[in-house]
Amino acid sequence: MDLALRTAVVLLPLLYVGVAAGYGWMFFADHRVPRKAARPLFHATLTLHLLYLILLTIRWQQFPYATVSQALSATAFAVAVVYAFVEWHGKASSTGFLILSIAALFEVLSSLLRTPNPPYREIFHNPLFSTHAGFGLLGYAAFAVAAGYGFLFLRLYHEIKRRRFSIFFGKLPPLEVLERLMVGALVTGFVALGGSVVSGAVWAEQVFQGAWLSDPKILFTVATWVFYGMALTLRRLRHWHGRQTAIASLLGFAAVLFSMIAVNFFLTDVHGFH
Amino acid sequence: MVDSRRALEASQPPVLLIGVDHRCAPLELREKIAYSEEEANELLTSFQARDDIDEACLLSTCNRTEIYLLPRRQSEAYRTALEHVFLTRAPEIEAEGRFYVKRGREAMQHLFEVASGLQSMVLGEPEILGQVRRAAQNAEDLETSGTVLRRLLRGAVAAGGKARTDTAIGNGAISFGYAIVDLARSIFHRLDSCSVLILGAGETARQVARNLIERGAKEIVVANRGRRRADELRTLFPEVQVIEFEERRAALERSDLVIACTAAELPILERRDFERAMASRRARPLLAADLGVPRNLDPAAGELDNLFLQDVDSLEQLIGQNLRKRRDEIPRVQEILDRELGIYAAWFHGLAAEPLVAQLQRHAEQIRQHEVASSLGKVPSETHESLNRLTRSLVRKILHHPSSHLRSGDPPDMQHLEAIRELFRLDDD
Repeated sequence: MDLALRTAVVLLPLLYVGVAAGYGWMFFADHRVPRKAARPLFHATLTLHLLYLILLTIRWQQFPYATVSQALSATAFAVAVVYAFVEWHGKASSTGFLILSIAALFEVLSSLLRTPNPPYREIFHNPLFSTHAGFGLLGYAAFAVAAGYGFLFLRLYHEIKRRRFSIFFGKLPPLEVLERLMVGALVTGFVALGGSVVSGAVWAEQVFQGAWLSDPKILFTVATWVFYGMALTLRRLRHWHGRQTAIASLLGFAAVLFSMIAVNFFLTDVHGFH
Repeated sequence: MVDSRRALEASQPPVLLIGVDHRCAPLELREKIAYSEEEANELLTSFQARDDIDEACLLSTCNRTEIYLLPRRQSEAYRTALEHVFLTRAPEIEAEGRFYVKRGREAMQHLFEVASGLQSMVLGEPEILGQVRRAAQNAEDLETSGTVLRRLLRGAVAAGGKARTDTAIGNGAISFGYAIVDLARSIFHRLDSCSVLILGAGETARQVARNLIERGAKEIVVANRGRRRADELRTLFPEVQVIEFEERRAALERSDLVIACTAAELPILERRDFERAMASRRARPLLAADLGVPRNLDPAAGELDNLFLQDVDSLEQLIGQNLRKRRDEIPRVQEILDRELGIYAAWFHGLAAEPLVAQLQRHAEQIRQHEVASSLGKVPSETHESLNRLTRSLVRKILHHPSSHLRSGDPPDMQHLEAIRELFRLDDD
């Protein structure tokens, strides 16, 4: 089993990079080779990733979020699943190169940051904690997807606005669809992160009795969550256009990345994965 | 690809093409030789009675009239077609040399290029494929196309379809109307749920309205200074609703797409009109296309958030980019055409080999029957059936490879067929 896991750690990032490159080739050159190969390769990668996460769970007897590496891999999987759903729904199959590049980035980081023996802790078996971590990862994945669609929205918006038409024009879905996908992902991320914050707070109160409130990771996550909430509220109340929402989704995701990596590594005790 | 080309050159039907297109004749001349479907049918039917033409198909569009023939006698068929199709309607064509004649591979290559849009006035335009398909269907229905032309025309339609789906030869708008449609499709999810306001009712407005309706626009409002021309436009397109020119500002607030194509000297919609419209439409974007020179829409409106203002220059830039992209696709289209022509060549070669294969099989069967008959008396009767089965199987297996080899057209050499005929003395049969 260890050999299979070690192989997957090398193979998965390569596959994700290959899939993202295949979708990129399909988007930019519209060649028949990637048109035939990219999708089956993506589905094979997704299946292998699912098997890897299952094996990881069986091997360490806990859900795969005990280390930054495992959390990143689970997030990459969630991003890929979200994209698979979008593609299956037929809404925006031309956006695969970017969304799957995000998944590839997470998976590459996951392999680079891998530690041989993840810690075994009782808390990973606590249902409330599992809910907290699961919601958190789902929220991060949704914000990553929102940022991807936000980027594509801004790119197309400025091309049409500035009347400089590149290869993106005519290949990307319309602005209205990109905006809808972005807002859908933002709402999903906001609800999931909200669930993560609430379940985490309840669990932390049981364990730490108030000593958790000053943890930088918690403060930063709550601030990010409030930021997303404000963006969605302003969109609803002040009729923010797609452009403002797209900028907010990119800023929010920068905060998420910071929170996921930098805060976890250097600033927090409660959330330290080491 | 080189092999398929060689195959085609070595063994090709003697197709004859006589044609006139936009490259060699002006519109006044092309108008004279343009055939309606009924006229084309009448002409093709008249060819059926002639003994110099075996098969025929007529392709007539606004940019070309071409007759494809499989002649029984080349020079007579050429004269008949030239006179009946072209000279009776426009005798000056011959004197001025405003037509082309192509034979064999060149004619077939030309047909495939026509079907894929490479020969069109507007490179890669989509209508021609449907026109070739209809011409082929007409010839089939009238039975003026036989085995050779029918297969060739079907091959051309298939090649044209593949060129369209496997390359970007037909991608991107190359007219103002379609460029606006493309822009709208890059902003709005569905064109049929967009409200369109057209300011002006001249030729450009008609063209744009036609393109929008073709692509699914349902709600189109037209405002023009002169009511008469707007009503004429409504007669042409019943989907269009006409309003007074003074109502244009109120209509702007309800529109998702506004197209201005009037001859006004000053802007007919100012920045403040757009500001008011944008304030009332919440977060929904607005696409404004200004086709007027001088400009009809205040350029300062382009600075407004969520408003996409395009003018003649930006649309021309988009069209130019698309044309360049289409030209870049020509080598890929040629590759597809060469491949499809190779498939046709192989089929045609198989067609030429078929009588010889049948003859060879008959010859072998005669020998088998003769030999079996002379042996039957020498072996017990219960082995007769086995002997028959055995010899039949032997003959089938021996001839299997040579037969498929001859049919496959590899190598596509008529001398090869002659050699087989001579070696087996098939002419003596």
